[in-house]
Parts: sequence; C-alpha cells; structure tokens
Amino acid sequence: MSKAWVEDVKRVVYIAEKDVKIYFFKGPNLTFGLLLPVVLFLAFSIGRTVDLTFAIPGLVAIAAFFGAGAIQAIALPLERRTGTFNTLLTAPISLFTIVLGKALAGFFYGVILSLAYTVIMMPFSPLPNLPLFFVGILFSSFVFSAFGLLLSAPFRDIPEAMPPATVVRIALVFLCGVFIPIGSMPISLQAVAYSLPLTYSVGALRQAMNGPINIEMFLFNLGVQILFSVIFLVAATKVLERTIK
Amino acid sequence: MKTIETAIKVQDLTKRYPNVLAVDHVSFEVYRGEFFGFLGPNGAGKTTTINMLTGVTKANSGKASILGHDLAIEPVKAKEHIGVVPDASSVYDEMTAWDNISFGAKLHSVPKEKREDRAKELLKIVDLYDRRNDRVGTFSRGLKKRLMIATALVHMPEILFLDEPTTGLDVQSARQVRGLVKELNRKGTTVFLTTHYLEEADQCCQRIAIIARGKIVIADTPEKLKTMAQAEQVIEVSFDHAEDAADKLKRLSYVRDVVAAGDKFRLYVEDPSETLPLIFDFAKENHLRIVSINTLKPTLEDAFVKLTGLRPEILSVEKEQTMLTRG
Repeated sequence: MSKAWVEDVKRVVYIAEKDVKIYFFKGPNLTFGLLLPVVLFLAFSIGRTVDLTFAIPGLVAIAAFFGAGAIQAIALPLERRTGTFNTLLTAPISLFTIVLGKALAGFFYGVILSLAYTVIMMPFSPLPNLPLFFVGILFSSFVFSAFGLLLSAPFRDIPEAMPPATVVRIALVFLCGVFIPIGSMPISLQAVAYSLPLTYSVGALRQAMNGPINIEMFLFNLGVQILFSVIFLVAATKVLERTIK
Repeated sequence: MKTIETAIKVQDLTKRYPNVLAVDHVSFEVYRGEFFGFLGPNGAGKTTTINMLTGVTKANSGKASILGHDLAIEPVKAKEHIGVVPDASSVYDEMTAWDNISFGAKLHSVPKEKREDRAKELLKIVDLYDRRNDRVGTFSRGLKKRLMIATALVHMPEILFLDEPTTGLDVQSARQVRGLVKELNRKGTTVFLTTHYLEEADQCCQRIAIIARGKIVIADTPEKLKTMAQAEQVIEVSFDHAEDAADKLKRLSYVRDVVAAGDKFRLYVEDPSETLPLIFDFAKENHLRIVSINTLKPTLEDAFVKLTGLRPEILSVEKEQTMLTRG
C-alpha cells in the first residue's frame, strides 16, 4: 500500500472518530436509532403471535438501519449549515475520503445499536450462528450508513434532511420483508423488495439466526450489500460534488 | 538575480450562480511571502474567490493554481500548502480547543510525535492554552477566531487564506488577530486576506486588489493606489455644531463632494487653496466655530471611491449588516 493510501485510510478513521465524539450522544440519534426500531417492532408484534426467529433478525436489521442512518441525517446537514464541513473540504483530502469517513461513523453507530438489540433479545431465542450473525450486522450497518449518507447529501440543514429520510426509511421497513415474509407480498411489491438493501440485510441475518445455514445464499446477501454500499457511496460523493459546485 | 516566485496564480476565474455572476473573469498573481489584500464590499465576490481557491466551491471557468498545482487537476496537492481561516466558524463547538486543533493536525498528516508540541505551541501563541480543555461552544467570537487561526496553522502552511478575519471582533481581539497575521507574514507565510476594512488593508497589505461587482478594478500597492487618487484633494473640517452642514457645504464652489465622517466633514475638492477661504466665509455666515481644519493626503478610502465609483459608506453599511445578520 502506498503512503498516500495509508494516509487516506487514517484520515477516514480520523473523520469517523470526530463524528463519533460529536454525534453519538445527540438526542435525535438516540430517538431515531434506539427508540424507533422498538416502537415499530411493538406496533407490529403486539396482539399477534410472533415467531421470534423471524422477528428478531428484522428488529436487529432495522436497529442497524435506523441507527446507521440517524447519524447521517444529522452530521452532514448540520456541518454544512454551520460551515464546519468546509474544514473537511479545505483539507488535502478527496471528497470520497470524506464520504468514507462519515460512512464509517454511521457504521459504528449501527453496529452498536444492533448489537445492543441482539444482546437484549438473546435470552428469548437461540442464536446458533452468532459469528455469522455478527458478520451480517457489520455488512448491514455499513450499507445503511452509506444509504443514510446518500439521503442526506442533497441537504444543507437538519430540518430539510430529516423528514424525507424518515419517510423513506419507514416506507422501506414495510417493503422489505422485515415484518411480512416477502413471499406473501404481491408480485409487484416483491420486485420492489428485491431491489432494496434492507431485504438482503434481513435475509442474511435470518439465515444466521435459523440454524443450519445456506452459505451460498448468505454470501449472496452479503455480496448484494457490498454492491449497494459501493453504489450509495459513489452516488453520495457525486451528489455532494454537485452541491458544492 | 533573485526571481519572484508565484504562490497563487489566477487566470480568468469565473463563478456564476443561477441569477448572479459572482466572480467575473478575475485574474491576479500573489507572490511568495507577500501580504495580499482583496478589498471590496460584501457581495463583491471576495468570499466566492477565496472559496474557489481553497476547494470549497468550483469555478465555472478559468484557472487557479497554488504553488504550481492546478486546483482543477491536483486539488489535494494544492491544498497541502494552504491554511484557511474562513469567514464562518470552521471549528466544532462540541469539541474542546485541544481536540479541534488535534483534528486539524491529523487531517493534514502532521506526524504523531509533532502533533502535541505543535498544538501546545500554537494554543500558547493565540493565548488559548489555559482554555484548551474547554468546549469551543463556550468561546466568544474572538476566541473562536483565534482558535481557527491556530488550527489553520497547525501544519505550517506556506499560504494562509483569511476571509474577513476581524469582522465582528471587538477592537482588542481584532488588533490581536492582525498582529498575529502580520507576524506570520514577517516569518515568511504568504497571506491572502479578504476584507472590507480599508484601514486593515492599508495597514497590513503589501498589495491590494480592489474588487467590485465580481471584477477586479485594480491591483497595486496601497501607496500607488493612493497616488492615483491624488487628483482629488481632501479638506477635513469640524465645526462646533453643524449636524446638517453637509448639504450647504456641497453647494460651495469647487467642492465636488462632501462626506460626513463622525463629527467631521470631508470635502473633496480640486484645489484646496481656492476652497479654504470659502469654508471660513461659510463658517462666519452660519455663526459656526471651526474646531479643526486640515488638508489631507489621499487615503485608501479616497482611492477606493475614485477607482470604483462607489461611496465609501458601502463598506461600513455592509459591515453593520454583516454583524447584524450574524447576531
């Protein structure tokens, strides 16, 4: 690895570290990241017979989804409003490096929240493939962080960024087989579900949850999430590039 | 023979927003070690120019380079050589002064073993070392500006960009900031300063470019700019009570313009020797006592008025508006 690459990787970590320090304990992050998944879960499960091996991966996936995204809905628009984003723009780093650093911070938040939910839910259901479940959490948190970044990239303030991001996220939860098996959806909605990253996150986590695993399907789900991550990161960079023109 | 090295080179730089041509084919050069000022009212294109030169925004056309690195082709290399103190706050309120400066050092790849010493030294220079562990959100505007300067210097940049560094500061803080920047320049740092304070440009800069409506009107040394205004002479007079004398003074022969400046009036005249007796007659007729009367050498303000065709009030009006809008 050349020296320039090493320096770039370090800067990605420094940006993430800075975002962790500033944004991890902001009120809206805790509300959206910690409470919203449980509210959605309870809204769906109260009064119904819930198969926990089906529901828990969904809950953990949406914890990663809202957790990783919550940081992004705040950090980028806030920094653009206050002008501190210019500190990053005037530094000798590429826009893609900035985007990666921000994505890494959201990734950490998603991992922490989804692990917290995993630990809370473990007494209620066996988790035979814990390492793979953890791998699923890592991939899910990263793709959702990148997605959150793309959603917030066009906006220059939190009040502008929050409503569309929240509406899109809640809509996706109901379209991706988190609460309802995709097979029971109409064909048109199934097509939508398979074009969304949350579907593959939930897919990977369910395979890890449900005992003997189909490793090819598991890897396929991870691979699709990698693909989505790359697309979201590149798109977020392009959107940011356009807004600074 | 010593050759003059170019630190910043700008050719036909243009920035267009949907309804505004913010910067219109601007060209200039800044030499290594120079203290260069960009003087003009708000909306003239100063911040847009500095934003294009520091990577915050992109030009629609034209070229700009920093120490030979074209900003469009090698932006990262170009930015390795610069430190930036923007007009708006660039420090994180939620972090301490120490964390802010350390973050700046890390972004600029200052080696780990040097980071701490550099941060300590700079915080002492800007007199913030005792407050290094305080959150920046608790700092006044002046303290934040000093921290921004320290953060911009942590990687020892060859070129320092300062966008309106003293706007909104109290007199003492502004003086400290100016002193600090002058000292840096004396030690060899190239300084690019935007300001709408005429005195600041006059006191600090070796060369000044006057920008108005997105175009550079002229770029030269402050003294040469003043010489260009020589054709117009100024008489400054103060009366014991004459709040509404400006209009009457304007009607005197040979007086081209009158500007009220505090308790004084500045009369722009072609020939002071013709006008002085008329002012004495005017005072006598209106039962006014002359408190002071002087003929002045042309100032940078006079040069600004002559060269841009704008009234000098535009600078101070904008200054007040800027401060009000920033609360």
